[in-house]
Amino acid sequence: MITTPQITGYLSEHYAADANHTLAGYERAGGFKAVKKALKMKPADVADLVKESGLRGRGGAGFVAGLKWTFMPEKSDRMKVLVCNADESEPGSFKDRLIMERGPFAILEGILIAAWATGAEKTFIYVRGEYALPIERLRAAVDEMRAQGYLGTKLFGKKGFDHEIVVHSGAGAYICGEETGLLESLEGKKGQPRKKPPFPAQYGAFGLPTTVNNVETFAHVPYIVDRGVEWFRGFGTERSPGTTLFGVSGHVERPGLFELPLGTPLRELIEHAGGCRGGRAIKAVIPGGVSMPVLPPSDLDVGMADELLTERGTHLGTGGIMVMDETTCMVRAACVISYFFRDESCGQCTQCREGTGWINKICRRIEAGRGSDDDLALLDSVPAMMEGGTICAFADAAAWPIQGLMRHFRADFEAHVREQKCPFPESFEL
Amino acid sequence: MPRVKIDGTEYEVEDGRTILQALDDLGLLMNGVDVPHYCWHPKLPVDGSCRLCQVEVDDIPKLQIACNTPIRDGMEVRTQSDRVADARRGVMELLLVNHPLDCPICDQAGECKLQDYAFDYGVKHARTRDPRRPAQKAVELGPEIVFDQERCILCRRCVRFCRDVTGTAELGVFQRGDESLLETFPGKPLDNAYSMNVADICPVGALTTRDFRFKIRVWFLDDVDSVCNQCSNGCNISAGRAHNNVYRFTPRRNDDVNDTWMCDAGRLSYPALREGRLETAQLRGRSVAFNEAVAAAGAALRETREAGGRIVGIGSPFAPNEDLFTLRELLGAVGAGPGLFSVPLGAGDDILIKPEKAPNAAGARALGFVESGDVGDAALAIVLGHAAAGDALSSVENVILIDTHDSALASRAMVALPARTFAERAGTFTNHAKRVQRFLPFLEPRFEAWAEGDILTRLAASAGLDTDAWDVNAVSKRLSQEVPAFEGIDLDSVGDRGLELR
Ligand SMILES: Cc1cc2nc3c(=O)[nH]c(=O)nc-3n(C[C@H](O)[C@H](O)[C@H](O)COP(=O)(O)O)c2cc1C
Ligand code: SF4
Ligand code: SF4
Ligand code: SF4
Ligand code: FES
Repeated sequence: MITTPQITGYLSEHYAADANHTLAGYERAGGFKAVKKALKMKPADVADLVKESGLRGRGGAGFVAGLKWTFMPEKSDRMKVLVCNADESEPGSFKDRLIMERGPFAILEGILIAAWATGAEKTFIYVRGEYALPIERLRAAVDEMRAQGYLGTKLFGKKGFDHEIVVHSGAGAYICGEETGLLESLEGKKGQPRKKPPFPAQYGAFGLPTTVNNVETFAHVPYIVDRGVEWFRGFGTERSPGTTLFGVSGHVERPGLFELPLGTPLRELIEHAGGCRGGRAIKAVIPGGVSMPVLPPSDLDVGMADELLTERGTHLGTGGIMVMDETTCMVRAACVISYFFRDESCGQCTQCREGTGWINKICRRIEAGRGSDDDLALLDSVPAMMEGGTICAFADAAAWPIQGLMRHFRADFEAHVREQKCPFPESFEL
Repeated sequence: MPRVKIDGTEYEVEDGRTILQALDDLGLLMNGVDVPHYCWHPKLPVDGSCRLCQVEVDDIPKLQIACNTPIRDGMEVRTQSDRVADARRGVMELLLVNHPLDCPICDQAGECKLQDYAFDYGVKHARTRDPRRPAQKAVELGPEIVFDQERCILCRRCVRFCRDVTGTAELGVFQRGDESLLETFPGKPLDNAYSMNVADICPVGALTTRDFRFKIRVWFLDDVDSVCNQCSNGCNISAGRAHNNVYRFTPRRNDDVNDTWMCDAGRLSYPALREGRLETAQLRGRSVAFNEAVAAAGAALRETREAGGRIVGIGSPFAPNEDLFTLRELLGAVGAGPGLFSVPLGAGDDILIKPEKAPNAAGARALGFVESGDVGDAALAIVLGHAAAGDALSSVENVILIDTHDSALASRAMVALPARTFAERAGTFTNHAKRVQRFLPFLEPRFEAWAEGDILTRLAASAGLDTDAWDVNAVSKRLSQEVPAFEGIDLDSVGDRGLELR
């Protein structure tokens, strides 16, 4: 059970306060100052400010938020909308949940600022269906805002600034976190990503011009507007400014969330989480949610910013760190990971539909002691066949972890094939 | 108009077209420029899911799908690079992961895009050792369509056809990932007036028609261009024939008429080419030799003329333009008024099916035939069959009937003469939109029968009128010279797509 982050920063400093999820509590802590400040600026200047801050999307792809806002058509005869992506289903990620539970108003204030910057009149918050408390808290927060006149028309006395927020509960599919799969699901259809073009900024939710941002992305916005670009850039790296809520889980003593600047060394984060369990040695670390290729212990010095992780052949993703100790069988890890992707592929694209299933079968065969050298060759080539050519990035997300495991832990796979059994009796059970 | 360079050659294309559409417009797709594709179909919305159509575009690092990439002026497309070949090989290999490798017992073999592309673009040796996904055999999706689930490659063409063309939306892909399965929605069988088209557009052997399934190997069939005669839309079709038998009708693409579709009723109309035919000439209900019947009819025609009896001609909206023209000439020669005709009516829709249940009503109108069944006090009627108003003719003493099919009228008529169906001769029909379309013979008659125009000419000769032997090409030429609406429109010039009346 997560309660509050073990280390807090500007985002989460009030999360421990009982009333932070109420309007009164949020305003006591300085809430809704930023939106009032933004409303004194021209919309384009707000977008510029957020762009200059360098805030990158926290949903996994790391796109510069302020830049994305400028993709929205400036003039549109159709209503423009925002979507807040609260589907958080990447295994290893649990930060958005806490933000929604403990700091819902920062998200909502960020949404209002983005609405001013983009001219959006409506926001849909798409929340993962299993997130009961976040949904409850968001709904309560939206109701309080409406009662207070912070939603509706002529907000904060600004003529022409109207906004409504709808909290929508998803039904539990990973692919509904991909932004266009989300849009389909929001419209009541099967959650399947859309081909692009058209892009959401032209044809998004219900065909309207749409910008999708992650929960945490929105939550940073009020602080940036309130305290300024300079201040924000005081955290993190040049290319990845700000803090994030790193989640550390797996074989660590004290799993949890840690708000720290981007670029914080991976080793430091693991130490904050109490280090590897039972004093064992670390065998592998997934740095950013299950989609991201693993790192070997020799890479623990890497700074947790996307540009630094890219140099090591992986990515920041959602910043969900998963630690595996020396007993862990990497083929079993491959079985678990490939099962997830096999199960969650929406099934539209040939490479993804067939590749995820095939990889999972191969991994299971190797783990069961029936693998061959041909299977190793397949694990070298099938992920590459899936990469880069599909409707959405899911196929990449399914291919990368296998490529990472084969790159750094090929020996584990070879040992299974050689011995025709799993040589890691102490590893977790499948 | 944007210009695009495809494999080094520059083309000018229409605005707003995707790469595949442009290639299709240019007539180059799989016919000079090979971009294999499964989910894309020229007449369906883009799906973009099979990922086979990937090509190199400008300097974009990732390959792009040709079916969903709009052409921009100055774009450069490469369809044959090593990277493209790799991507195709990858997609083909993955498509076969869950596909049975038993082409020899599949009904689609010979016209299967999976078989063809695997041969052209695939890997040479299967690397899968795993069992295929469990799937059902011979599922009846509706009255006409049978589904072999294991062969489905989930291109969703059939889903889009039912959603976007017929609007009936019976089909969907259920579950997800490699458990995805095409099915009908619960309680909603695939039962619409166009359901059989899904078998044509299914690139593999997953969807078959109950009618054609396992009847004959497709490589024994040759396809002859024809036109459906079941309503005035005149859908362009191919007649698949072997051993003087027709095994199926399939739609033949004509973007101005029927796109790539036809209705189930039209498709299933081919057995009538054989069944219920008028097989021998009849003289007052008695079978006689063809020539004897013609002689009797000719004598009656001559006598009626000499006696000053009124002669009436009744055309048929099933008869081709050429034959109606011959009837018109004959009626002129014997001093009769314009020919009459009537059209059977039924239900129509906004897709293809027209209420006029005959292929050439517009042709009859254009040739001056009058929609009426009023034969007045006629002493002799020359009747082209199929739709003749039998009752109205009861007052006429001498009926000379020329018909493809047997009927009550045939036994009552003074003379009934067997005619060839459109399957047994060439000719043209004029559809509801005044498009003159050609059909070619694909069957040999099994008994003595002649084209209506041919029989009319023999009749005229026998009645002592001055005639030349009937030849459809010659008549068609004369028609195009003598009737202004048909100016320049003859069997040759209509080509395989038809021409509109002037
Ligand atoms: C398979 C897949 C799953 C995704 N799941 C999520 C998710 O659960 N939450 C999220 O915010 N973004 C998710 N994304 C990323 C979104 O597509 C999108 O990039 C993001 O919501 C944009 O917000 P940001 O720019 O603020 O990060 C996912 C992407 C993919 C390909
Ligand atoms: S890549 Fe996978 S999840 Fe994404 S659209 Fe294609 S099949 Fe669906
Ligand atoms: S049945 Fe045929 S047309 Fe329908 S999805 Fe499967 S392969 Fe495509
Ligand atoms: S719509 Fe008319 S012409 Fe077309 S196939 Fe059906 S009956 Fe024949
Ligand atoms: S034809 Fe383009 S993706 Fe299928």
